[in-house]
Amino acid sequence: MADPAADDQQSTSSSRADGDVAKSSQWSLLSQTLRAQRRNLAIGTLVGLAWTVGKVATPILIRFGIDRGIRDGDRLWLWAGLIAAAGLVAGFFTSFRRFYAFREARWTETRLRERLFGHIMSLHIGYHDRAQTGQLMSRSSSDLNQIQSFVVMIPITLSNLTMITAVTVILLVTDWVLALLALASLPFIQIAGSRFSKAIHPAVLAVQAEQAELATVVEESVGGVRVIKGFGAERVQAQKLRTEADDIRRESVNAARIRAKFLPAIELLPQVGLIAVLWFGGQRVIDGDLTLGALVQFNVYVALLVGPLRMIGMTIAFAQRAAAALGRVNEVLDIAAQVEDPDEPVDLPTSATGGPDGLGTVSFSDVVFAYAGATGAPAGPADAGPVLDGFNFELAAGESVAVVGATGSGKSTVARLLVRFYDVEAGSISIDGVDVRHLSLHDLRRAVGIVFEDTLLFHDTVRANIAFAQPDADAGVIERAARLAGAHDFVMGLPEGYDTMLGERGFSLSGGQRQRIAIARAILADPRVLVLDDATSAVDPSKEHEIRSAMSTVMDGRTTIVIAHRPGTIALADTVVLLDGGRVVARGPHEELLANEPRYRDVLAAMEATSDDPDAATPSLAGGDRA
Amino acid sequence: MMRMGGVDDDDKLDAEQAKQVLRRAMRMAAPFKATIAAALGFVALSTLGLLMGPVIVRYGIDSGIDAGDRTVLRNAVFAYVGVVALAYFAARQQYIFVNRAGEGFLRAIRIRVFDHIQKQSLAFFDRYQSGVLISRMTADIESMAELVQWGLLQFIAAVFLIIIALVLMLGLSWQLTIAALLVMPVIIIASRKFQRDSNAAYLEVRERVGQNLAELQEGISGVRVIQAYAQEGEQTRQFVESNRSLYRSHVHSIRVSTWYFGLVEAMGIFASAIAIGIGGWLVERGDVSIGTVVAFILLLALLFEPVQQLSQLYNTVQSSAASLDKLFTILDTRPDVEGGHRELDRHGELVVENVGFRYTNTDASVLRDLTITVADGERLALVGPTGAGKSTVAKLMARLYDPTVGSIAFGGVDLRDATLDSLRHRIVVVPQEGFLFGGSIADNVRIARPDASDAELRDALDAIGALERFDSFEEGIDTEVRERGSRLSAGERQLVSLARAALVDPAVLVLDEATSSLDPGTEAIVEAALDRLMTGRTTIVVAHRLSTIRNADRIAVIDGGELVELGTHDELVGLGGRYGALASAWEASLPTL
Repeated sequence: MADPAADDQQSTSSSRADGDVAKSSQWSLLSQTLRAQRRNLAIGTLVGLAWTVGKVATPILIRFGIDRGIRDGDRLWLWAGLIAAAGLVAGFFTSFRRFYAFREARWTETRLRERLFGHIMSLHIGYHDRAQTGQLMSRSSSDLNQIQSFVVMIPITLSNLTMITAVTVILLVTDWVLALLALASLPFIQIAGSRFSKAIHPAVLAVQAEQAELATVVEESVGGVRVIKGFGAERVQAQKLRTEADDIRRESVNAARIRAKFLPAIELLPQVGLIAVLWFGGQRVIDGDLTLGALVQFNVYVALLVGPLRMIGMTIAFAQRAAAALGRVNEVLDIAAQVEDPDEPVDLPTSATGGPDGLGTVSFSDVVFAYAGATGAPAGPADAGPVLDGFNFELAAGESVAVVGATGSGKSTVARLLVRFYDVEAGSISIDGVDVRHLSLHDLRRAVGIVFEDTLLFHDTVRANIAFAQPDADAGVIERAARLAGAHDFVMGLPEGYDTMLGERGFSLSGGQRQRIAIARAILADPRVLVLDDATSAVDPSKEHEIRSAMSTVMDGRTTIVIAHRPGTIALADTVVLLDGGRVVARGPHEELLANEPRYRDVLAAMEATSDDPDAATPSLAGGDRA
Repeated sequence: MMRMGGVDDDDKLDAEQAKQVLRRAMRMAAPFKATIAAALGFVALSTLGLLMGPVIVRYGIDSGIDAGDRTVLRNAVFAYVGVVALAYFAARQQYIFVNRAGEGFLRAIRIRVFDHIQKQSLAFFDRYQSGVLISRMTADIESMAELVQWGLLQFIAAVFLIIIALVLMLGLSWQLTIAALLVMPVIIIASRKFQRDSNAAYLEVRERVGQNLAELQEGISGVRVIQAYAQEGEQTRQFVESNRSLYRSHVHSIRVSTWYFGLVEAMGIFASAIAIGIGGWLVERGDVSIGTVVAFILLLALLFEPVQQLSQLYNTVQSSAASLDKLFTILDTRPDVEGGHRELDRHGELVVENVGFRYTNTDASVLRDLTITVADGERLALVGPTGAGKSTVAKLMARLYDPTVGSIAFGGVDLRDATLDSLRHRIVVVPQEGFLFGGSIADNVRIARPDASDAELRDALDAIGALERFDSFEEGIDTEVRERGSRLSAGERQLVSLARAALVDPAVLVLDEATSSLDPGTEAIVEAALDRLMTGRTTIVVAHRLSTIRNADRIAVIDGGELVELGTHDELVGLGGRYGALASAWEASLPTL
C-alpha cells in the first residue's frame, strides 16, 4: 500500500507548487488543533506499537521454527502456532491503527473546516470584495484535504519508526556485519522515493495542464458548434485537438520516463540486501557462526522494512504539501474582522423608550468613505477617490426616499454603510439617534432589512428562504410576509408550494419571482428601516409593475431608502435625493426636482437610455426564437 | 493510499456488455500490437526476474549452504545478481512500453471521438447536453488514462506474477502449494467484499463531499445576505451539521474497510505459519528440502500484494469499461448530415420546396409543407412569433439540419448532393451572438477559411468597416481574445462574427438577428457592417426589428410551422392579415416613431 505510484497519484490533488507562504505560525495552528485530539492520537500510536510487537516478533518466530522446529524436530507445531498468533496480533492492531489514524485525520479536517467557515462568515465585506470564492473554496477543501493526508501519517509513521529502530537493533545484535550489509541498500529506497516524489509532481501537473487545454478546445468546439458548422470549420478545430492530444501524450510519456527511472530501482533495491544476506550470511552458516533460521530471519526483516521506509518518503512529501496548505489556511484565519461588535453595545430605543418622532429615523452626518484599493470597489470608479464626501442626509421615521445619482455616484454605498458592511472614514451614521457603531451587529442588521440588487436565494425551501432572518418563524408569519410581497399566489402554484426547493439546483424562478421572495425575506425580519437596492433591474419590464406594487405595500409606513436605478422606481418614494460628487446636491419631490434641477434631468435621461430599450417593448414579434 | 475509482451501479456493465466493450477496445488497440507485445514481454521478464530470487535462494541453501559448497553458493549469488539486473532492465522498459501503447491508444480515441462528434449535425448537439459531450471527451477519457498510466501495468504485472509464482511453487512442491494456498480463498472473498463495501461507502462520501462543497460555496457567495440578516451563526450551525455528516460518512467508510487490512496482514503471516508447520512436517517426511520451505516463505510474501491489487483494480477496470462503453455509444451514432459530391454554383436561386421538419427526439413537426423561392440577391425577412419555426427555416436553408420531407436546392442542386465544403462557402450562417474561440482576433476570423492570407483577412475586416477599430488595439488584430470579458465588447464580438462571413464571401447569408441590443455607439457600427456585408448577396434574416423587416425585399410570415403570408411590406399591410396586425401593433408601441 505504500506504493510510491500511489504517492504521485495523491499529488495530483495539489495544484500549486509548494510556496513560501508558509509562516512559522502554520505549525502552531496544526499543533493547536492536534492538541485537542492528543488522547486519540496517543491511542493510535499505542495501538501502532502493539502492531510493531506482532510484526517484529514474526521473523524471530520463523527463525525458531526453522532452527528448532524443522532442524531439531522440536515442537514444530508450537512454533507454527506462535507465528499464527503473532499474525493475529499484527492483523488486529494494524486495523485499529489504520482506523484511529484515518478517523483522527478526518476529525482534524472537519474541525478546521468549521473554524474556517465560521471565520469566513464573520469577515467584513471589504475582505469578501477582494477575495475570490474559488480561492476560499480551495482553502476549505483541497488544502484541508492535504493537511488531512499528513495527519493520517502521524501515528502510522511513529509506529513505523519504532519498528525500523527495533528491527535494526535486533539485526545489529544478531550479527552486526551482516546487519550492515543487509540494511545498507535500504536508505537508498527512501532517498529514491523522495526524489521520485519531487520529480513526478511537476510532470503530473504538466499532464493535467495539457488535459485542461484539450478540455478548452472541446468546450469551445461544443459551445461554438453553430459557428463551426456554419463555416465548415471542423478541420481547424480537429487540428487544434490533435495538437493538444499530442501534447498530452508527450507529457504523459515524459511522466512515464520519470516513473521508469525511479520505480524499478525502488522496487529492486531490497534485492541487493537479500543478495548480501545470501552471500555473506551463507558463508557464516557454512562456517557455523549463524543458523539457517537466522539467515531467513534477516531475509524476512529486509522485506519487512521496505514498506515503512517507503512510507517515510511519502510522509516527508506530504508534510511539505501540508505545510504549504497550512500556510494558506492560516492566511485566511489570520485576517481579523474589521467590522466587529462594540465592546459595550447599546440597545436601540424601543417604542417604550422612543422619542416623539416614532421609530426608524436615520441620519448620515458628514460621512466620508472610500473603498480600499481600486479592486475593492464593487461599483465605484476605478480610481480610489472617496465615494461619499461630506454626505449629509436625514430621514424621519416612516419616510421614504429615493436615492438617485449617476452610475458610480455612491448610491449603493449608502445602503452598505448603513448596515456596516463597511465603516465610515469620517462622520457618523445613526439609527434612532444611536451611532450604528455602538450597536451590536446583530441588533443593527435586524433593524435594517435590505433587498439586494442581485437576489441571491439559497438552496432551500421557499419557506426557509423567506424565514431566513428568523428560521423558527411560524407558517402564518411566513405566509403573511409572502402575501405582502405579492409572492403568495405564485408560491402556491409551485409544485410543492412553500416546500419547493429553490436555488441553483432547485426550482428556478423568474427574476420577478425571485425578487418578490427577496422582498418577503426582508419583510419577515420586520425591520425598522428597509433598503431596496435596484430591486427591479433583473425583472422583465412587463413584470415591473407587479414588483412596484409589492414594494409600495411593504414601504407603507416604514422608513425606506430606495436605491433607484430606474425612473419607475423613483415614484414609489415620498422624496428624492440627488447624489453627485459624493454628497447630496438636491432634495425634494420628483416633480420639483424635474422642474428645477438640470442635473436631475440629466441623470434621469441617462437612466432612460440604459434601462428602457425601445425594442424591449415590442410585442410578440420580438423575443428570441430558439427552435 | 488506496485508490478507489467509485462506480455507480448504473454505470456497471453486465458480463456480456463488458465482453463486447473489451473485444472492441482490443480491435481499436490493434495498431499498437507490436508495442503491446513488447510491453507484455518486458512485464513477463521483470516478473520472472523478481520471482527467480526465492528459487535461487533455495538452490543456494540446499546445494550450497547445507552441502557446505561455497562454489555453489557463489554461483547462486552471481545468478541472483544477474536475475535482478535483468529484472531491473525489463522493469524500466515495461513502464515505457506500457505507457507508449496506452497513451497511443488514448490519443487515437481522443481524436476519433472528437472527429466523430464534429461530423454530427446540429440535431446531435441538440440531443446531447454540451456538458455531457465535454465530459465524454475529458472525464471519461481521463478515467481511462488512470488505468492506462498505472492500472494496466499493475494489472498485467499482478496476473503474470500470480501465474508464474503458482507455476514455480507447484514445481517446488505441490503438497506445500496446496497447503499454503488455503489462505487464498479467504483473501479473495474478503477482497471482493471489501471492494463492494468500500465502493458503496466511497459513493456515499463523494455525495456528501458534493453537498458540503455546495453548502460552502453558497455560504461564501451569499455572505452579504447572510451578514445583512445577521445569520452568520445559523449558517455556521447548518454548515457544521453538513460537515459532521460528511465526517460520519468518512468514518463509516473507514470502518467498513479497515478490517480488511488487518485480515490481509494476518493471512500473510498465517501463510508463513503454514509454510513452517506443514513444510516442516514435509521436510521431516523427506518430501521437500528446507530450502523449499524458505523459498515458499519468500514467494508467499511476494504473492500477497498482487492478489490484493487485483481485487482493488477491479473498480478501476470497471469504471474504465463503463467510460469506454459511453464513448462507443457516441462512435456508433451515424452522422446524419453528410456531404454529397456536387459543387455549388457561384450564384443561384434558393428554392425551398414542400419542406416539413421535426426534431428527431420529438413527435411534433416544427414545419409543414413550406415552399419559398428566394431569388439571387434578394433580401428575405422571416417574421413570426417565438417558436413559430422561423429560425428552423433559416437553419434548414444552410443545411444545419436536413428537412424531414421535401427539398432545399441552391442553383438547382439539392443541398444534400452538394459537397459540404462548397455548401459552407456558398451559404453562411451568422449566429446571433459573436462566439469567440481561443486565440487572436485574426485566428477567430480565419476560422472561416483557414487558408486565407493576411491580406485577405484584413480585406475582409475592412470590407465590413471593422479593420480600423481592431487596428487601434495595442496588438491590432493579433490581440488575444482569451481575456474576452475585458477586451472585446459584445459589439466587437459581433464584428468578428461578421468578418468571418466576409472572409468566406458567400452567395447567401443567413442571419439570426440579435434580440438584445448593444450600446448605441457600437450598434451603429454593427448595423453598418451588416449593411455592407449584405450588399450584393442573397440574405435571409430572422428579423426582430421593424427597421430590418422594412429594408427587406420580401417578408415571409411563419406561424405554427407554416408559411402564412409572403410579400412586400406594403403588400402585406394592404392584405390586412397577420402581418398587418403585427405591424400596426408594433408601430403603436414605438413612441419615438
